[in-house]
Amino acid sequence: MSAFGTENKGEVKSQGDLLFEAQQRQKQRFNRNVGASWGIFFLIIVYFFSGQNFLGIKTIELNTEFIINNMGFIAKGLPQTLLVSVLAITLAMILALLAALGRLSTFPPLYALSTFYVSLIRGTPLYLQIFFFFLALPQLGIVLTGLLAGVLALGLNYGAYMSEIFRAGLASVGKGQIEAAAALGMTPWQTMRRVVLPQALRFAIPPVGNEFIAMTKDSALVSATGFVQEIMWRATRVGRAQFNNLEALIMAAVFYWVMTLILTYVQSIIEARLSKGDR
Amino acid sequence: MSTIVKISNLDKYFGRLHVLKNVSLEVAEREVVCLIGRSGSGKSTLLRCINFLEEPSHGSIEVDGLHVNSGEKGRAHRQLVHDVRLKTGMVFQEFNLFPHMSVLENVIEGPVTVKGMDRQQAIELAEHNLDSVGLLFKKDEYPNRLSGGQKQRVAIARALTMEPRVMLFDEPTSALDPELIGEVLNVMKKVAKDGMTMLVVTHEMGFAREVADRVIVMADGELIEDGKPEQIFNEPKDPRTEALIVRYRTGSG
Ligand SMILES: Nc1ncnc2c1ncn2[C@@H]1O[C@H](COP(=O)(O)OP(=O)(O)O)[C@@H](O)[C@H]1O
Ligand SMILES: [Mg+2]
Repeated sequence: MSAFGTENKGEVKSQGDLLFEAQQRQKQRFNRNVGASWGIFFLIIVYFFSGQNFLGIKTIELNTEFIINNMGFIAKGLPQTLLVSVLAITLAMILALLAALGRLSTFPPLYALSTFYVSLIRGTPLYLQIFFFFLALPQLGIVLTGLLAGVLALGLNYGAYMSEIFRAGLASVGKGQIEAAAALGMTPWQTMRRVVLPQALRFAIPPVGNEFIAMTKDSALVSATGFVQEIMWRATRVGRAQFNNLEALIMAAVFYWVMTLILTYVQSIIEARLSKGDR
Repeated sequence: MSTIVKISNLDKYFGRLHVLKNVSLEVAEREVVCLIGRSGSGKSTLLRCINFLEEPSHGSIEVDGLHVNSGEKGRAHRQLVHDVRLKTGMVFQEFNLFPHMSVLENVIEGPVTVKGMDRQQAIELAEHNLDSVGLLFKKDEYPNRLSGGQKQRVAIARALTMEPRVMLFDEPTSALDPELIGEVLNVMKKVAKDGMTMLVVTHEMGFAREVADRVIVMADGELIEDGKPEQIFNEPKDPRTEALIVRYRTGSG
């Protein structure tokens, strides 16, 4: 990006340079306007909940005392939300990779197991799956903690959807790579471990990041079991108890939103680094 | 001189397509054999049958005394194929370097992972071979930072570091910009001079003339001519060979 600006200093600018600069200026202006609009929307929302009476419109008044008193309680859900999400995404990655490998298998039962799993999970609601682990299994004598049930359900669910990511990752490794490994005398397992998986996993990092961000929000469903004290559970609990659901849910929304913004930013950094090195 | 590669009565079908037709061929130790022929005549398939990247339909392959019959299955066969691959190095048209490994890692991968060689020893061997292809100074680079010619030279070093008995080259310069072909051919000449047995599919007639001990011409899955380069290029016996050489000479090969 600096090649244009610095190298031509002091010289007569070509028509291409001028055009490019005009384009850059236009882009910058657009971005500035988008940013300003965001700010205005934000102010409107804040005003909307400010409790002020302006031009005859009565805005919503939030109970600030409740917010201040319960901020800490809801914030304590953040580590729980992240814990559930990290455990579940780990499980999901393992399952997704196995499912993707199963799809490559020439052994019919393995292939079938993979497609069966993906079909079953995709064909049923996540909400149902969470309740299945938490409420249905005890009937069979299997009692899981809320955390374990939530992690299993989220992990199984995301694993099924993420198998496509790993399938694409494995497919991105060309036939030539596998042949080169075979020609060196590598066994199929060595080829998988040393050549195919490292490339497939690198390919999968950005989309897995997206899934992780989505999961931090879907983890709210786990609150339904009533035993994982993550953000949503805490918000509904204090909201109901003191009949301040509005404030509680707004706080939870802010926590989720800010968390998403931060995670998205972290992901963009990782992605930029991956594409730069391309090693 | 002993025979390093012996191909006997080889047939290969892709579905109904008969790609190799009763091909027999012997390559002696230290011999450099160039394989020429029109696109689709079966050159790559023949080369790839030698190290079983393609499984032959009929016939047998022998590499440095290891005899492998086609059509067999099971552990013993797989072990035999593995042993054959240890004795053959292959260089591909598209280089096929591992993009997630540095140049040095690419070159030591085979010895360390496949042969279980001590890492330090593998590095010494790799550095020696990288030096001989003129790329020791690039050992810490990643493949995507190399030119095509450099990639192919690394690929040659990678194959050599497995210390094979025979090197198979499948159009090693066909994916290169014209100005990069020379550096790869020079490395190959050096490998030949060092006494390596080589089987080279190529369209580089200058290289074949200069370096090959024998030139074999393929057409429609058969070996139609086999002789010294001068004979093949100056007095071709088969009209198809003649046509091929005219095509190369007019640069439309
Ligand atoms: N994997 C494959 N499946 C089906 N047909 C193939 C395959 N590989 C090669 N062929 C066919 O076999 C013939 C010989 O191919 P090839 O050995 O690549 O020829 P060459 O290297 O001389 O150009 C061609 O007709 C080609 O289309
Ligand atoms: Mg070919």
